[in-house]
This record gives sequence, C-alpha cells and structure tokens, in this order.
Amino acid sequence: MSAIIEIKDLTKEFKVLERREGLKGSLQDLFSRNYKTVRAVDNVSMTIEQGEIVGYLGPNGAGKSTTIKMMTGVLEPTSGTILTNGIVPYKNRSKNAQEIGVVFGQRTQLWWALPLVESFKILKDIYQINDKDYNDMLDLYRSLVDIDPLLHKTVRQMSLGQRTLSDILAAFLHNPKIVFLDEPTIGLDVAMKANIRKLIHALNKEKNTTVILTTHDMGDVDALCQRTVIIDKGKMLYDNDIEQLKKFFGSYRILKVRPTGELETQAESIKNELEGFSVRIMDDWISILVDEEKAGVMDVLGRLQRSYKIKDMQLEEISTEEVIKKIYEGGVN
Amino acid sequence: MKKKDLRFYLRIYFKILAQDLKSKMSYRADFIISTIGMIFTNIAGFVSFWIIFRNFPSINGWSYYEMLFLYGFSLIALTPVQCLFDNNWNLRIAVYSGDFIKYCFRPVNLFFYYQSEVFDIKGLGQLAFGIGTLAYSWHHLGLGFDILMLLKLIVFLISASVVMVALQNAAAATCFWIQNSFYVLDLVTRFKDYAKYPITIFSPVFRFIFTFIMPIAFIAYYPSLVILRPDNIEILSLFSPVIAVVFFWISYKIWMHGALRYNGTGS
Ligand SMILES: Nc1ncnc2c1ncn2[C@@H]1O[C@H](COP(=O)(O)OP(=O)(O)OP(=O)(O)O)[C@@H](O)[C@H]1O
Ligand SMILES: [Mg+2]
Repeated sequence: MSAIIEIKDLTKEFKVLERREGLKGSLQDLFSRNYKTVRAVDNVSMTIEQGEIVGYLGPNGAGKSTTIKMMTGVLEPTSGTILTNGIVPYKNRSKNAQEIGVVFGQRTQLWWALPLVESFKILKDIYQINDKDYNDMLDLYRSLVDIDPLLHKTVRQMSLGQRTLSDILAAFLHNPKIVFLDEPTIGLDVAMKANIRKLIHALNKEKNTTVILTTHDMGDVDALCQRTVIIDKGKMLYDNDIEQLKKFFGSYRILKVRPTGELETQAESIKNELEGFSVRIMDDWISILVDEEKAGVMDVLGRLQRSYKIKDMQLEEISTEEVIKKIYEGGVN
Repeated sequence: MKKKDLRFYLRIYFKILAQDLKSKMSYRADFIISTIGMIFTNIAGFVSFWIIFRNFPSINGWSYYEMLFLYGFSLIALTPVQCLFDNNWNLRIAVYSGDFIKYCFRPVNLFFYYQSEVFDIKGLGQLAFGIGTLAYSWHHLGLGFDILMLLKLIVFLISASVVMVALQNAAAATCFWIQNSFYVLDLVTRFKDYAKYPITIFSPVFRFIFTFIMPIAFIAYYPSLVILRPDNIEILSLFSPVIAVVFFWISYKIWMHGALRYNGTGS
C-alpha cells in the first residue's frame, strides 16, 4: 500500500464582496468595497491509500466540494499542500487530469448533443486510450450494467439517472488512479442508486481505483465506504473506519415507544422525566437515544411503564446516519 | 503516452466537429431554417451596402469596387471567428453558473477544449458570400492574378482573421473579472461592423482608436491595402501579420489567466 493522496494543513479562503443593502448601499459599493474572507476549508490533513473508498461527509456548506476542487487541481489552495500521485495538482493540472476522473453531481461533462458512444470515442482520443484497453473497459461495463441501450442515446435525451450513470462510466473510462464523485446519487431513485453503488463497488475492486465520494445519503456510505472523513465548517471532525465509528456508538441504542394519549404532550412529559436523554418524535414514534453504559434499555422502559401506558415499542441499533448526525452535533473528537 | 502535438489536437478537433455536424444535420428542419436565415442575413447586409455606396463614384478616393473589395475581404476574415470561436458567446453564462468548471478536468489545453465544443456552421455562408464579392470586385478592378498575389491574399486574410479572434477572446475573457461582460463583447462585435470601411473616412481620433486601441482596421483595411494599392503600402499593412500574432498571443494569455484563476461557484 502506498499513499496516493497526501493532504497537509490544507486551507482555502474565498474573498467575497459584502454587498450593502438598497440603492444607497449599491452606490457605496461602487466606491468602497468591503471584502469578507470565508474560510471554506480550514487546516485539513489526511492521507489516502491506493484502492480505498473514502466517504467525505459533512453538512451543506462544510467545504467538501471545495476540497475536491483543490484535489483535482482546479482551485489553488490558500495554504497547505496536496500531492496526488506525487504531483502538485494545481501546478500540473493537465498531468493530474490524466490520472483522475471527476463527476460533479448534476453537471454533466459529456457532449450534450452527441450519443454516449461518440463521447466515449472522443475521450478515448483525449486520454490516448489504446484500442484494447478501451474495448476491455466497455466489456467490463457491459458485464456490470446494461449500457447498450444508453450508448446510442444522446446525452440530452437521457434521464437524470441515465446521465449520471453515463458520467460515472466516462470518469472511469481511462482507468484513472483516482475518481472523485461529488454527490453522484443526488436526485436518483432507489433502483438507480443501487445500480450506481454496485458499479462503483465493482470498478473499485476490479481496477483498484481510489474513490473519494461525497454524499448526503448514508445508504451510499453503508454500501461503499470502509473509511469516512467528516468535516464541518471547513474543519475536520473525524477520520476513521466506519466500523470504528459504529463501535464508538455501539453502546447507544434507540428505544422507540408509542404511549397512549397525544404524542406531542407525552413526548414533552417524557423529555422532562428522562433528563439527559435525547428524546424526539420520529414518524409517529417517540424515539429515545439510550447510552447503555449509563442506563440499560430495560431500566428506561421500566421507568416509563410506571408512569405511562405503552401501546407498542421497538428497539433499534443506531444507524450510520444517527452516528454521523451525532458527530455533526459535536459528539466525538 | 504520446506527445500532445498539433496532430493530436487536430484529430480531436475534427472528431468533435464531424460528430457535431452529424448531429446538427439530423435536426433537419432546424438545419434548413438556419441555412435560409443565414442566406437572408447576408443578402440584407449586401443590399444595404449597395444602397449606400452605389450612388457615390468614390468616397475619399475609394472607388465603389474598392469598397466592395473591402466588404468581401472583411466577410471572409470574419468567418473564422464566427465558425470556430462562437463558444466565446457562451463563456459568460458558463462562468456565472459554474458550468465552466467541467472544462477544467481534461488533460488538454483548456482554451482549445472550450472552443472545440462549438462549431457554428452558419459562418460558412458568410464565407461563400465573401469569396463571391471579393472575386467580383477583383475582376472589376482589373487587379490581375498570379500565385504571389494569391499567397499574399491568404497570408493577409489569415492575419485579419486572427486580429478579430484576438479581439473577441479578450472581450469574452472580461467575464472572469466582471459580471456584465456581455456589454464588452457586444461592443466589440458592433465595432467590427466598421471594419469594412476604409479607415481614412473616419476622423483622426477614431483612426487612432481603430488602429491601436480596438484594432479593427487590421481586419480589412490595412491588410487589403497590400493587394489594392501595392504601390504605396502603409507600413502598418506590412506589419499586420506580426501585429495579429502579438494580439492573439496577448488575448490568449488574458483568457487563460482568467480561466486558471477561476474560482467557480459553491456546489
Ligand atoms: N467560488 C466561491 N466563492 C465564494 N465562496 C465559495 C465559493 N465556493 C464555495 N464557497 C463557500 O465555501 C463554503 C463551502 O462550500 P462547498 O461548496 O465546498 O460546500 P459543500 O461541503 O460541498 O456543501 P454541499 O453539501 O452543500 O455541497 C460555503 O460557505 C460556500 O459558500
Ligand atoms: Mg458540494
């Protein structure tokens, strides 16, 4: 194993114009401008090995896309260093581009008016892929997804899901060392999501391609990522195995109850009764997050049964989504 | 990995071009209508030229056929910018919306890759009109014809085209810095209409502007002097190929500078 991406103390700041309000403000803006610096990425460091699938997670505006743009060489870091394949992406954009593939959510990079297969042929020339590798790759694609109906469709005629699938295929076409996928499953239905996850998983196994994936869909994380890196407001919060993360929260379980009476008022009163527990209403259930190291689930249930009449109950393991949410809220360091 | 030489780029260019034409022709109604539109645009341009100048035997020492020569010359010289660099018109939107980022991920020259996306076939009609007009006036002027003249014509036509391309690149690239760059591009495009007149009919102020600041006089006037008035060529005429190369290089640098510092939008 060798490091394919090395990031050290990476920071990116944007200067944005602070616009004043109203007509008077606009006039003032003409003469004196107020710039504000936004620190989109703040002192991030990580090392990624060849062949890993890394889930790069964080709430909206956390700085995920900005980090990816720096790794692809499109943005210049304000400070800190990045090495991908041993080169500085921003300074050797073209050389770096040869070794990476990129998909940016709903922005297709394919030629709008051309059938997919013609886009592939142009990419074959641009990346100088030889005939054998090209045909092998198409055969591999065929074995994974049903591409033949897509090949002769123009990109503009495709549905969003088909287009995303095509973009992902195009990103892997030249067998790059790293593929960046920024929200590849956004807006897709369950079947297409499953399709795309299967594809990414298989290509990673088959070609040992490193994949950096951002998503808000925990299904993607559960299906694909051994490792997650979490950032918020530009700062790194967590970088570890997903299993490790779950283990950390392993003592947490979710107890769901449905008492008689009105749900909201009951939830309020349970909240008062169980001080220090996180109590929420979720789809007709009152859900209580229980840390088993502090109190057993059965004890909690027993306490509740003394004061309420419980119609129904459920016990759940904590999901990845809950874990991540907990981290966003500042659970781990 | 082979070196990315001119052959590499031409190959990609023609591949994209061929596919693009194929797809455009498959929308037949679209294709026919835009062809008809293009013919009428050119006829209208020619008729207005004819109405204005037919009644004057000469303007500032320029005969009707010499004016016609300039007109044809400028039509030809403006073809490459129309056909090959039309995507400059979409640059502002791409930059504003953040779509421009998609051009930044390929291992080829960014300027080339961006411009290669669009080939505007309508420009070819203009080329045909231009050649017709030029040949017609050439004949009436009794300029004679030999290989040397043809060579000169080609060299100076190319320099003229390159000047226009340079102007447009620079104007389009302003969108990397300012938001309302449409007006800059539009202004340059409007000014290029003056390219078809001999610069001597303008006042000295405009003569200076059109030569040194917005050098549209190099799109037809200076280069065609070499053919039309070979006996007393202005020094600027002879230099126009050099000037064209310099302008193009500067505009390319501006364009690339803007593109490389492009920050994109949040996503
Ligand atoms: N070109 C830009 N100019 C100014 N500010 C920017 C620019 N791009 C991003 N930002 C700011 O940087 C921060 C991080 O944005 P970024 O797009 O990286 O977030 P993200 O993690 O990808 O979020 P999301 O999940 O919503 O896609 C945001 O506050 C955003 O407003
Ligand atoms: Mg994003």
